[in-house]
Amino acid sequence: MSTMRDALLGFIAELRAAAVRISVAESMDAMRAVAAAGLTRTRMREALAATLIKDEADRVVFDEVYSRYFGGARPARGAPHRSKQARAGVHGAGGADDAGASSAPPARQNDAARGVDPAPRQPKGGASAPSGAEAPPEAAREPAASAADSLVDEAEPRPAGLEAGHSTRMRAAERVPFSQYSDLEYEAAHQALAALKRRFRVRLSRRLRLAKVGRIDFRRTIRAAIQHGGAFADLRFRSRRQRHIDLVVLADVSGSVRYAASLMLELVAGARECFHKVRSFVYVDRMADADFERGHLVMAPPLDLYAKSDFGRVLSQLWERRSTLLNRATVLVILGDGRNNRRPSRADLLRDIGRICRAVIWLNPEDSARWGTGDSAIAQYGRAVDALLSCQNLHELEHNLSRVT
Amino acid sequence: MDITAEFVAEGLRRARYITNERVETAIFLALALDKPLLIEGPAGSGKTEVAKVLAEILHTELIRLQCYEGLDEARALYEWNYQKQLLRLQADEHQGLRWEELSEHLFSREYLLERPLLKAISTPRKAVLLIDEIDKADEEFEAFLLELLSDFQVSVPELGTLRAIERPAVVLTSNRARELSEALRRRCLHLFIDFPGIEQERRIIELKVPELDARMAAEAARLVNALRKLDLKKPPSIAETLDWARALVRLGIKELDTPTLRATLGVLLKHEDDRTRVETKAASLAGRAR
Repeated sequence: MSTMRDALLGFIAELRAAAVRISVAESMDAMRAVAAAGLTRTRMREALAATLIKDEADRVVFDEVYSRYFGGARPARGAPHRSKQARAGVHGAGGADDAGASSAPPARQNDAARGVDPAPRQPKGGASAPSGAEAPPEAAREPAASAADSLVDEAEPRPAGLEAGHSTRMRAAERVPFSQYSDLEYEAAHQALAALKRRFRVRLSRRLRLAKVGRIDFRRTIRAAIQHGGAFADLRFRSRRQRHIDLVVLADVSGSVRYAASLMLELVAGARECFHKVRSFVYVDRMADADFERGHLVMAPPLDLYAKSDFGRVLSQLWERRSTLLNRATVLVILGDGRNNRRPSRADLLRDIGRICRAVIWLNPEDSARWGTGDSAIAQYGRAVDALLSCQNLHELEHNLSRVT
Repeated sequence: MDITAEFVAEGLRRARYITNERVETAIFLALALDKPLLIEGPAGSGKTEVAKVLAEILHTELIRLQCYEGLDEARALYEWNYQKQLLRLQADEHQGLRWEELSEHLFSREYLLERPLLKAISTPRKAVLLIDEIDKADEEFEAFLLELLSDFQVSVPELGTLRAIERPAVVLTSNRARELSEALRRRCLHLFIDFPGIEQERRIIELKVPELDARMAAEAARLVNALRKLDLKKPPSIAETLDWARALVRLGIKELDTPTLRATLGVLLKHEDDRTRVETKAASLAGRAR
């Protein structure tokens, strides 16, 4: 009994090592589930999956760790199986099982080869296995159907279904660090962006609902009024439909940062209705207006992407245009690595800008270990802004954006 | 009623719900461990069906709470029937009753509008509570639900604490429109119902649309499976496959050729972009289905 528990604990430890988060309560559920479900291979596997995996994207990892830990179709060498069989109760004498396995109808043998039945996992000692006795009654029920099943299931890819695989890929694409991006990763991230845009919008709009001041939320006020016989004694509010934020986004499109910049601009473009006003700009050595037309980034005036970055100059350009762009309601989000080719950083301008605006946020997609090395002026810029956040991948980018806006 | 895995499998078979062992095990565990079951998956894959079938297996009623954005406690749990109370007050005006007597009447179960969650708590027999599309409700509702799911009791200030006599079997479904909270996920057992494989789909078509002959059913299953492998905005689910099978029967179609496919594509694909994309490939798809 305790060997099974140890085996399960070992398995859970392996899963945790593979970055699947499992709580203590869930591991206890898993033990109880395995005790309840009986111990055929697929039943145990599904029982563990149902209790330990709470996100289908983890299922692929689970299956891989499971087959590694509990072995494949070949007879298992591990002690855990032996004790499990013993614990499952004796269904027939050891000898009968051997005979049963060898004389099983073709359907059963197919299953055995596939590893569904525990038959191949009979320990050498000849202790009981539930499969031998299970085979006759199950075979009696629907032999044809199960044979067809096993054959077909062999032919079709297991275990991730079409939708599950898709969601796993999307999730993986979100977590690739920007530093490892090439066109391929960018494409994958772009596909994941659609779902992210939705999430971003939902996150932003959710905070609009409950508020102490703002417009009257009629539905909730009337609902509350029912308790007072229709008198509007209790007013409920929602804050204004558009948050009164003028969002100004300034993104670095040089070098490796351009992927992150492009993704962020698209994300923000998708959530335009959640803000009062949105202006997007890109820069390398000077500022340019940016727009998303039919999925492509269009710059006006077009920038030379291979020019040497000069953020100081960009800041002075921004400062010149401050009367039209920046006001008390502006939140300025800068995406860049702060590398300035040893040109003057003009962090003082950034500080002045911060004083006019509501907030200035810097998102840095570079690996934080490299901040401050070489020609990076991020330390100076970091001191001049309200918040400096690290955005290593698409997931973090969306998360931080929704937090600061 | 002894809950075993075989009992569940047999019940699913009798209720004509064809599925795989993963679903069977999850349903069985939800009953055996008395935990709520969270079912996720693409739209139309049979998530709500599970709850209906479960109610059939247990020979009990299905209590359904359909979630939407803005769903609040009052609409989900209970409300006082204010109008009725007011009428009662006016009717009793002349009798000069004291407040104590009056309030006893007014705040009784008679004047309580039981919404689905309270109904689930109050039924004497174990019921199946289906909380459909929980991802449409907002976070505060989720938090409230979490509390309810752990204790299955509700405090109505005027009536005291109402505890569930028999905890219902709870099934939650989600279309993944938004991320559910960690706490809710961990409270529940997880089940993902994906699109079926070719063989399983064929069996489902044969069972649910028996008028369609076996060869056509197999071809249909193969074709829909091929469609799903294309990068569509909304891949057809099993619900759409069955609609299509019924359409084929209605139209009296005996052969699955290109013009047929083009004509009936609207039953399977619900986005214009998907339709245009598939129409160009219709010939090769129909050919492959043979």
